[in-house]
Amino acid sequence: MKFLILQITFLCFSFMNLQAQTVLPPLDKSPMDMSYYPDQYPVLKIQDKITEPLVARVIYSRPQKNGRVIFGELLEYGKVWRLGANEATEIEFYSDVKINDIKVKKGRYTMYGIPNIEKWTIIINKETDTWGSFKYDEKNDLLRMDVPVQKQTAIREEFVMVFEKTETGAGLIIAWDDVKLNLPIVF
Amino acid sequence: MLAKKRFSIVVFLFSLALFTACRQKTNTVPGETQTMRIPVSVNDSITLSIDKSPMDMIYFPDDYPKQKMLTPDLANPVARVIYSRPQKNGRIIFADSSITQNVIQQYGQDWRLGANEATEIEFFKDVAINGKKIAAGRYIMYCIPYPGKWKIIFNENLYSWGLHIDKTKDIAEIELPVTKNNIQIEYFTMLFQKSAYGCNLLMAWGDMKVVLPVTFN
Repeated sequence: MKFLILQITFLCFSFMNLQAQTVLPPLDKSPMDMSYYPDQYPVLKIQDKITEPLVARVIYSRPQKNGRVIFGELLEYGKVWRLGANEATEIEFYSDVKINDIKVKKGRYTMYGIPNIEKWTIIINKETDTWGSFKYDEKNDLLRMDVPVQKQTAIREEFVMVFEKTETGAGLIIAWDDVKLNLPIVF
Repeated sequence: MLAKKRFSIVVFLFSLALFTACRQKTNTVPGETQTMRIPVSVNDSITLSIDKSPMDMIYFPDDYPKQKMLTPDLANPVARVIYSRPQKNGRIIFADSSITQNVIQQYGQDWRLGANEATEIEFFKDVAINGKKIAAGRYIMYCIPYPGKWKIIFNENLYSWGLHIDKTKDIAEIELPVTKNNIQIEYFTMLFQKSAYGCNLLMAWGDMKVVLPVTFN
């Protein structure tokens, strides 16, 4: 009998344990992705094809247009946006770089964007590991840079961020719907 | 004695049924159809569509970014994992070499504990795994699955794609038993849970569940 009581107690506890497990996370609606500079760095690395050092990585989530008007409606002009979905978008530099002529030391940062019709303000902020832009605090900004909107004729369904090589370093391409931006990173 | 045994079997079956019922609810994944690969509609240089095995991120404490939003001045997180989530899609996840059809991977071979990029784990403070100190910092993790157990290996070859492991950069390993879930988990899932000695990294896929204890103060 003692054994039985023990077993029932154990089962009760394992229930609690199993209950706790019922919060297994489902697949995100706006899945996360990662981009490196140099582009495709992890693939190049295992192929022994690296020609330049690792400079940057961005981790962001990818909302989809799903037939909605994005800029000016879903995302209000002039309001801070987390540049993605879910967790705030993270950018990491593996060496010191310059953005808008301001030195950015190697390390992790959070990125935000303020969409507008003709230009966006891109923000690099020092507060990391945070959710969305709900607790965005201007006090923790490292820098801001205005970049012009390049209107696209074709519509991009999924929000995307990717690095491209430029003469002065790299450009971080940010694109969604009919908007494309290029944030210059100098190194 | 026989009656007792029978009763405990009934209790066990009941708990199994209850467990299944609890799990089935959460097993319906909202937004599953939206996360399928979406055709790319732009004719510019960027052709990246949504990954078939999308990336995800977990923290300890669980849901740290959300907690931070609600609790200013929250202490630093302890750990973070970035991994991708393959789907079972009706396949056998691991099997021995006698089964060759419809198998994701054979036992005894390196598996990147996810998909795409190597799975990355970052400790924001020193921890211990299998009694060995792991210094604060970033590592990749991979797994060698065997019937009934997984060997989890920590490695320093960061920022690499998960298909090729440089074993000279292994720094720690641990063998962990596989416990059986009575329901199928479609997407490979990792989750941190609090434990008495620190936290557990829970890994689950198909009917397999593996728990990796991480010790810290």
